[in-house]
Formats: sequence, structure tokens, C-alpha cells
Amino acid sequence: MKNLLNLLPLIAFVILIAVLYSFLTQDNDQLESVLVDQSVPEFRLPSLENPEITISKSNINKLPAVINVWATWCIACKVEHPFLMKLKEESIVTVYGLNYKDNRRKALDLLKKDGNPFELSIFDEHGKLAIDLGVYGAPETFFIDKTGIIRERHVGALTTKVWKEKFERFLNEDNDV
Amino acid sequence: MFRKLLTIFFATFIFGLTLAEEPNEVYPFEDSIHEERFLSLLNELRCPKCQGSNLAGSNAPIAIDLKREVYRLVKLGKTEKEVKTYLVDRYGNFIVYDPPFESDTYALWLAPLIIFLITISVILFRRFSN
Repeated sequence: MKNLLNLLPLIAFVILIAVLYSFLTQDNDQLESVLVDQSVPEFRLPSLENPEITISKSNINKLPAVINVWATWCIACKVEHPFLMKLKEESIVTVYGLNYKDNRRKALDLLKKDGNPFELSIFDEHGKLAIDLGVYGAPETFFIDKTGIIRERHVGALTTKVWKEKFERFLNEDNDV
Repeated sequence: MFRKLLTIFFATFIFGLTLAEEPNEVYPFEDSIHEERFLSLLNELRCPKCQGSNLAGSNAPIAIDLKREVYRLVKLGKTEKEVKTYLVDRYGNFIVYDPPFESDTYALWLAPLIIFLITISVILFRRFSN
């Protein structure tokens, strides 16, 4: 018993190292979203293509869908762009774009050049809707199920791997119902 | 020659300082209570992007947006608690430096106490078994 007690600091140290080590491999950039299992927040923002047209929550109606937060100044957004195009071309899911703190002209030029995967593009110049969504950096992608509830959020570029791991299951679930 | 070089050296240093200064946004208040509330909130809210610093100490775009949002809410007369709730509803407990005591944060709050109790009991046990 006494020997065991003497070993206690060592045991505590080993546990501490194990705990810290397990945090090392964790992705710190992925904060859990509070909006998961909540409805998409209400908003009224102009469309990217036409400042005269107002888009609101009721326009997000082709569900299930993803809302993709992007900007031309965001490098990872360029990385995920082909994948968003694939989502559209293979009709996997509707993609809504939230153009975040960007320049309208530049954004439109990019969509013209690289292709436009978005059913609708919301222009959020001051990050208003982005704050309501708890966005803290672009790109971010939210999965909206067919009842309009946010089911998952991913921070960073959307890739085939991320899609399979985090999003695909909601699609299958929707097909079952 | 040396003095000239020295002058140039310090001149560039001072010039560099003025360049390095960020054009911080100004948040004017009419009510000093509001201003105090705003400043204390900036110190108690964490920047979600640059996770090591608070809103006051960050100039990341998201921090600037959140500062503007806090400013707007405080100007509307919202209390400190209301502003915090507003942000926690969007960004989670992560955004406040003093997270509430709930199931998610039990470990965070109780770990120091548990470690303290274990340490004390070990010390006492050793003392008395001698």
C-alpha cells in the first residue's frame, strides 16, 4: 500500500501526459456550434447578384441543403469550390451561398470564372447573419435538413472526406423517411 | 557620421511606430456607465478565432464585428448579462471567460476541487500511517 502511495505522483503524471496528448491530436478549430438542432435564424439581406432583391429565411426552401459561408479573400474557399460544384452538378444537395464580408464585384467575377454552385447567393457585407449563425471564419458549412433544422456545422474546407464523415448521414436519414 | 546614422536609426524607429499603430475603431458613448460596461465586456469575452485573446486584445475581422455588435447592444441599453446571453446563444459557452456551471462544464469547475481533495487525503494518509 505504501509503495503504491509513493508511486502516486508518477501515476498522476502519466495520466496528465495521456490527457494532454489526447488533446494534441484534437482539432482546436472545430468549436461545437450552438445552432445545431435549431432552426435557421431569421434574416433579411440583399442578393449578391442584385442589391435590389432581398433574400430572407423563407427563400431557403429547397431542402435538404447546405449553407456555405465563403469569400473571395478566403483561400480555403477556393480549395472547396470544386466540391461545391460537384454537390450541385450531381444534385446531391442544394447549396446556398453566404458571401461573407466581401466585395460584390470580386465575388461575382469569381463565380463567373470558376462556376456558380449556389442556388441563391446572400450578400452579408457586415457579417450580420454570420454572427447569428455563430460564424467565426470562412469557410463554414451548415447542413439544413428537410424540416429546416441545422444538423451539423463544419469549419474549414469542405472535402469528400468531411462530407462522408459529417454530412452524408443526414442525407441518408432523409431518404429513409 | 555616427551621429547622423544614429539620428536616421531613431527616426526610422519612430516612423515605424506610427505605421504599426492600428487605425482602431472609435466607440463613442454618451453615458459613462454604458462605456464602462462596454469596456468590461470586451475584456470578458473571448475572440472565437484567435482563441488565446479577448475581444479587447484582438483585431481579427470577427473580433471587430463582435465588438461592433457589443457596442450596438450596449448602446441599446442591454445589461451585461443580456449581451453575454446573446453571444453565448450564437457562439456557445466558449465565448465567455467564466462559463456557467452546467453539465458541459462540471469537469472544468470541479477538477481543481477534486485534485485538491485527493492531494489533501494523500498527505493526511501518509502523515498518519507514519
